[in-house]
Amino acid sequence: MRPGPAGRLSRALVGWHPRRWRERYREEMLEVLDQHHPTARTVTSLAASALSTHVDPAYRTERLSLARLRRAALISALVAAPLALILGPVGYRMWQDSYWHPAADEPLETAAFSPHAGIMVTAFGEAIDGTDMVWDITDLSRPQRLSQFEGGQPMTLSPDGRTVATIAYSGQTVLWNVASPRHPVKTTTLSDGDGSKLEELAFSPDGQLLAAARHDKIFLWDMASPARPRLLRTLDAPVASPAGDGPIPFSQQDLAFSPGGTILASATGTDQVTVWNVTDPAHASRLATLGGAGDFIQAFTFSPRGSLLAAVTFHGTVLVYSLADPARPARTATVRGLLTRALYPSGSPQPQETPLCATCQPASYAVAFTPDGHSLTAVVDREEMSANSGRDTIFDWPVTGSGTLGAVTVAARDVADFQPVIAPDDRTVVGSPPGSHAWHAWPLP
Amino acid sequence: MHGKFDDLGRFADPSLLILTSLSDGPKHGYAIMTDVAAFSGVSMEPGTLYGALSRLERRGWVRPLATEERRRPYEITAAGQEILAEQVKTMQRIVHVARLRTATAWGA
Repeated sequence: MRPGPAGRLSRALVGWHPRRWRERYREEMLEVLDQHHPTARTVTSLAASALSTHVDPAYRTERLSLARLRRAALISALVAAPLALILGPVGYRMWQDSYWHPAADEPLETAAFSPHAGIMVTAFGEAIDGTDMVWDITDLSRPQRLSQFEGGQPMTLSPDGRTVATIAYSGQTVLWNVASPRHPVKTTTLSDGDGSKLEELAFSPDGQLLAAARHDKIFLWDMASPARPRLLRTLDAPVASPAGDGPIPFSQQDLAFSPGGTILASATGTDQVTVWNVTDPAHASRLATLGGAGDFIQAFTFSPRGSLLAAVTFHGTVLVYSLADPARPARTATVRGLLTRALYPSGSPQPQETPLCATCQPASYAVAFTPDGHSLTAVVDREEMSANSGRDTIFDWPVTGSGTLGAVTVAARDVADFQPVIAPDDRTVVGSPPGSHAWHAWPLP
Repeated sequence: MHGKFDDLGRFADPSLLILTSLSDGPKHGYAIMTDVAAFSGVSMEPGTLYGALSRLERRGWVRPLATEERRRPYEITAAGQEILAEQVKTMQRIVHVARLRTATAWGA
């Protein structure tokens, strides 16, 4: 006979008893219910029984608690897993946005600073004109992206922070007005009459001159009127030549004015830095050549007072020159082996490490003096696929007024992939982490 | 005796009725219900029956026997018989006193 509502509810109530109780009494209870004629009183008595047995310590066993815990854990996991799947990527993206400052589709190539204006312009990628972004770096640990534009790279920022010069995909210099940093406006394209692709740009400290370099020439532009720059002088730069019959190694080009603005230094893919007298830009001339590196120059920097110039080479040699008499520079320090120390901190290559590539770029370098000029920092970012790659090596030397270096301090840490850039405070490196399309500022040790 | 009685809590009716029912031989759940209804007129529900049975079993006053199909008979233990006898004596004293006092009061 099919049970009525009271019968069905009574049977259901049997199942509401604790598991241990059910294991003991369920079958015989159901047998009784089969013979009994359940009524509302039956339902009431079973409900009371179910409640009382649930609070009865005799049926709240450890086994039951564990089962409940397992069930609770399973339910929590079922609820938490989809939430984690949804919220995890969102949270990671939020963290990344706050820690890594997202770029376009490619890693950071270079960065230009205007310390007085508190802004920085970053360039990402080499495709077409690349992407440039303007950042408020009043607090470099919390940069705010103000705007972006398709400007190209590399670039330099005028000291007043109002003009950015970039090298467009066409190879020519383009000026951008960033006086209103949230709304960059393209001002003009500089035509040097040659059309060859430029490689490097630099503003003079007073912002009145813009130097643009390619592998064999340097162009000096009068920037007194940024809207109508005027070509003042074209200088013939040294041209790289292969050593013997060998190929020319990869070499960065670099260009910088001395802090006083009277000297322009250039490295145009050779084993020397050339210093130029630009006191009268229209009649600029070569002052001297800083040689003796025996290796291709990768980066260089002036000391804050302009009396010293430090350079770093393809295989990690640091050279310091005194420019006390710019016409007769003197090499005051030479430190070799930075790359070897960066690649092989243990002192020797490991079996799984590939040997140095003869012509490719084994590392990227950045070099800078501290603002007080008392120490020199070099960052070696390993490009070579060695077992130790992934961490950068930072070298620090105390510097004397005459340009000699004291004992080195070496630190290895994750800093940047691709070209690292040392911020003007010399305590921060800006760069892209490996595989990322964003940048981050790392405090130096 | 009195302490044991207090510990039982709901011992009073259902437990006494079950022990009384089992005192003449083992019975399964439904048989206890019909027997109690027959000798006392109390209609005991399954929830009440098994609540009392489980407490009696834990006290060691009844013992489950082997299951016969789905039916499990219960039998009263020696301890159960002892507690039942004590309970009956107490009830007899109560009945005796009650009779004397009601006879005096009502002039029987």
